[in-house]
Amino acid sequence: MTAAVASMAAKQHEITLLTRDGQRRPILCGEEENLLAAATRQGLTLPSLCREGSCGACHARALEGEYQLGPHSTSALSAEARERGEILLCRTAPRGPLTIVVEQDLAAMEAPAPTERSAEIVALERLTDDTVRLELQLSATAEGSGIQFEPGQYVTLTLPAGGVTRAYSIANTANWEGRLEFLIRRQPNGRFAHWLASAQLGEPLQVCGPNGSFVLDEASLSPRWFVAGGTGLAPILSMLRWMGELQAPQPARLYFGVNDESQLFAMEVLRDLQLQLPQLQLEICLWRPQGEWQGFVGTPLAALERDLPEALARGEQPDLYLCGPPALVTGVEQLATSLGLAERLRSERFLPN
Amino acid sequence: MFCYQCEQTYRSDHANGCATSRGVCGKDAQTADLQDLLIHELKGIACYAKRARELGSVDNTVGGFLLYGLFTTLTNVNFNAARFTALLQEAATLRERTQQRCTAAAQQQGVAVGPLAAPAHFVPASELGQLLQQAPQAAITVGLQEVGEDVVGLRALILYGLKGVAAYAHHARMLGQESDEVYAGVEATLALLAAEPTDADQLLEEALALGRLNLKVMELLDAGNTGSFGAPQPTQVRLTPVIGKAILVSGHDLADLAALLEQTAGMGINIYTHGEMLPAHSYPELHKYPHLVGNYGGAWQDQQQEFAAFPGPILMTSNCIIEPQPRYRQRIFTTGPVGWPGVRHLENHNFSPLIQAAQALPGFTTVPEQEEQITIGFGRSAVLGVADSVIEAVKAGAIRHFFLVGGCDGAAPGRNYYTDFVRQTPQDTVVLTLGCNKYRFNREPLGSIGEIPRLLDMGQCNDSYSAIKVATALAEAFECDLNELPLSLVVSWFEQKAAAVLLTLLALGIRNIRLGPSLPAFITPTVLERLTAAFGLRPITSAEADLAAALGRSAA
Ligand SMILES: Cc1cc2nc3c(=O)[nH]c(=O)nc-3n(C[C@H](O)[C@H](O)[C@H](O)COP(=O)(O)OP(=O)(O)OC[C@H]3O[C@@H](n4cnc5c(N)ncnc54)[C@H](O)[C@@H]3O)c2cc1C
Ligand code: SF4
Ligand code: SF4
Ligand code: FES
Repeated sequence: MTAAVASMAAKQHEITLLTRDGQRRPILCGEEENLLAAATRQGLTLPSLCREGSCGACHARALEGEYQLGPHSTSALSAEARERGEILLCRTAPRGPLTIVVEQDLAAMEAPAPTERSAEIVALERLTDDTVRLELQLSATAEGSGIQFEPGQYVTLTLPAGGVTRAYSIANTANWEGRLEFLIRRQPNGRFAHWLASAQLGEPLQVCGPNGSFVLDEASLSPRWFVAGGTGLAPILSMLRWMGELQAPQPARLYFGVNDESQLFAMEVLRDLQLQLPQLQLEICLWRPQGEWQGFVGTPLAALERDLPEALARGEQPDLYLCGPPALVTGVEQLATSLGLAERLRSERFLPN
Repeated sequence: MFCYQCEQTYRSDHANGCATSRGVCGKDAQTADLQDLLIHELKGIACYAKRARELGSVDNTVGGFLLYGLFTTLTNVNFNAARFTALLQEAATLRERTQQRCTAAAQQQGVAVGPLAAPAHFVPASELGQLLQQAPQAAITVGLQEVGEDVVGLRALILYGLKGVAAYAHHARMLGQESDEVYAGVEATLALLAAEPTDADQLLEEALALGRLNLKVMELLDAGNTGSFGAPQPTQVRLTPVIGKAILVSGHDLADLAALLEQTAGMGINIYTHGEMLPAHSYPELHKYPHLVGNYGGAWQDQQQEFAAFPGPILMTSNCIIEPQPRYRQRIFTTGPVGWPGVRHLENHNFSPLIQAAQALPGFTTVPEQEEQITIGFGRSAVLGVADSVIEAVKAGAIRHFFLVGGCDGAAPGRNYYTDFVRQTPQDTVVLTLGCNKYRFNREPLGSIGEIPRLLDMGQCNDSYSAIKVATALAEAFECDLNELPLSLVVSWFEQKAAAVLLTLLALGIRNIRLGPSLPAFITPTVLERLTAAFGLRPITSAEADLAAALGRSAA
């Protein structure tokens, strides 16, 4: 290779990361490299899981510039999203200078990389046929016994035998005891699910995190509307509990959807939470109730289709927090976009990883 | 938003002031607007409180709220918009209550309440969007087109000075020191601003009157501090950590520190001071706690690195807080007027969450081999205790000159001036210091003149009161005017407490103060000209030239 060719291959483009808090952070990235790797190399921590275009964790948007998007799953990035200039950082290589809008605050990107810790099961409770509540006790490290994270973030859990690593959102809030609580739906034929079916108290797991940018916009005074499908309740429960701890004044309502009565869980927890957070309104949505259900019948999306336009007409502009199965997330995203609320929506998808 | 209250305000060739969606300090537009509205409401409350006082009806809890409300709007104190929406509601209720009390008092006396300024009739909207639409009428720049920037700047000088006064008065109040005179003064100043005065001469007079009020307030705070914790004594303070669990306490509120020391006694947790809390070590009733082990870190602008490295929780009791970084966001706590969205806030000295965090975090497990210490605690009683030898040294020519180099620190590069200045002071001069500006030079080995150390740390910025007392005593001893003393003031400002202290110094007739690193953006050239003519107030230039000028010789 001649020197000229080598320098061309090594050509570094100037990439400007526009952060959620409106700051600009320049990085350099070669054409052979992806943006996620380049950012990591330059000391920034951006959310990522699979690093191969299938989980959607590294989602961002290109504002201007030329780039090449490598192979990826359409559930991580739909064709429409692609059309709109949305990208997956782990699959994007620059072809010139780029401006990229990322979903993180600069400070969060400059935070230390997530750490690895060991933990053991201290509670394992069946909530419904396919939903369990898992509680872990982390072992103390040189950094102390507690666990610090922002409500809404997730960790990855690695099974004792190794090999299987899955992301799970934390359902409780940061604490000094080192306790982590999860709400997990047992995926049929799932590998983690399989292990969970016979897991015993005291069994060890490796925990890595925290990670993720599905967190509260703490500075916003707008009403907070939370939308959860199934175990998508986990990160939202963390946010609501945090609001309770802080005695946050923002109006809050939760749309929590499951298929039918038999799949309902955490109702007691939610009602206890209302004591701490009296402004919290609950809308439990059953898609196909089996008995005489007094509440809303339909998906949370249907409930939002009813309530959001009304709220907007009243001049209320809620912040939307959304977590659950991809179909729900996509549906609500489309609704929010059509109502001009795309900027106010934050979401997490429980994609296979 | 528009805000130009502090030294780091956005400056450009054509305009000064933070006016985009976020101030240089990190305050967002929404919070800034809500703060303006709160000030507007406080003016309204003050109109009634002042009138009621004239009519013989006094309620000093109103004054307490005014102090607290003003304090929350100082630079680097409260960034939590949600806190301000709550305060706006509280203020509206208090305004109504005060109005009723005032009306009742007027009826009793058979007189009219009388016409009151617009803020007395202001009703805040209950909905956020509408509330924010009301903000322009509360902006500091109101009437700029009609009255011009000199008048707006002078109003700002008074409002910002008043914020500083309120902060000190709040600390004094927390230590049980209050006075009718102070509350009346605060109410009168707010009522004055409510009326949007336009006469520059009157405004300058009022600014100086506020300076005199601040002297009274600093005296109260001094009485609170020394009354509760004893007179400061020269004390060695460790700057290096010790092994063990640790809590860091920052800000100015000694009452908070005292409560925490009491709650953690015998628990094996060490307490460290940070920033303006350093002087705490010199008070006997705080120093007596063996677990108050030392000072950690420097001035406020270094906190993001320092707090990240501190192996325990942090308590912010007043300014200066800046955006908590993820590395310590979960272990920083605010109390009193301080706030940051999403950061845990502790009230009423309930520090158990802080203590729990300290127990869970590792604390210091290694410490540097070389222990480092400095000496602080040269308040007025310590200095006046050796007044005879000081006077002797001056008369014998061993001390040629005193410099008071103090005030706030900040991130601006120009602040190196103060380090250079102190380093270059000749061997036969003494440097007095106070405020967090001292971190720029308080580890310098300046030596001593006989028994007298060449660097005397007098305490917090409010301990300017001590400095004034010392200067006054020296002037008496030498039978001269304050301005005839061999004393030069080199003041560093950052926020509104410094504005209050500056007004006090001017009100005392102290001349030739050097002010830096840059002049307040709200002091217009015309106003500066007047201040220079009346008081010789001028900006710093270079350490060499300013030193030479102070010592009465030309720069080499
Ligand atoms: C950021 C993040 C946070 C998450 N938080 C939670 C949480 O709090 N609670 C929770 O229950 N899950 C959560 N998940 C999903 C979780 O990580 C696993 O994907 C899920 O538990 C399945 O793991 P498994 O090993 O049991 O199944 P696998 O062995 O990975 O998969 C088995 C089969 O099921 C399919 N499959 C796996 N997951 C899904 C899915 N979600 N929808 C449709 N088909 C699927 C796979 O394609 C495969 O065919 C989260 C995912 C992400 C990316
Ligand atoms: S306090 Fe200072 S930095 Fe913050 S907005 Fe006001 S002028 Fe700007
Ligand atoms: S002296 Fe001024 S800048 Fe320094 S900590 Fe105190 S208030 Fe803040
Ligand atoms: S990390 Fe990029 S899609 Fe998973």
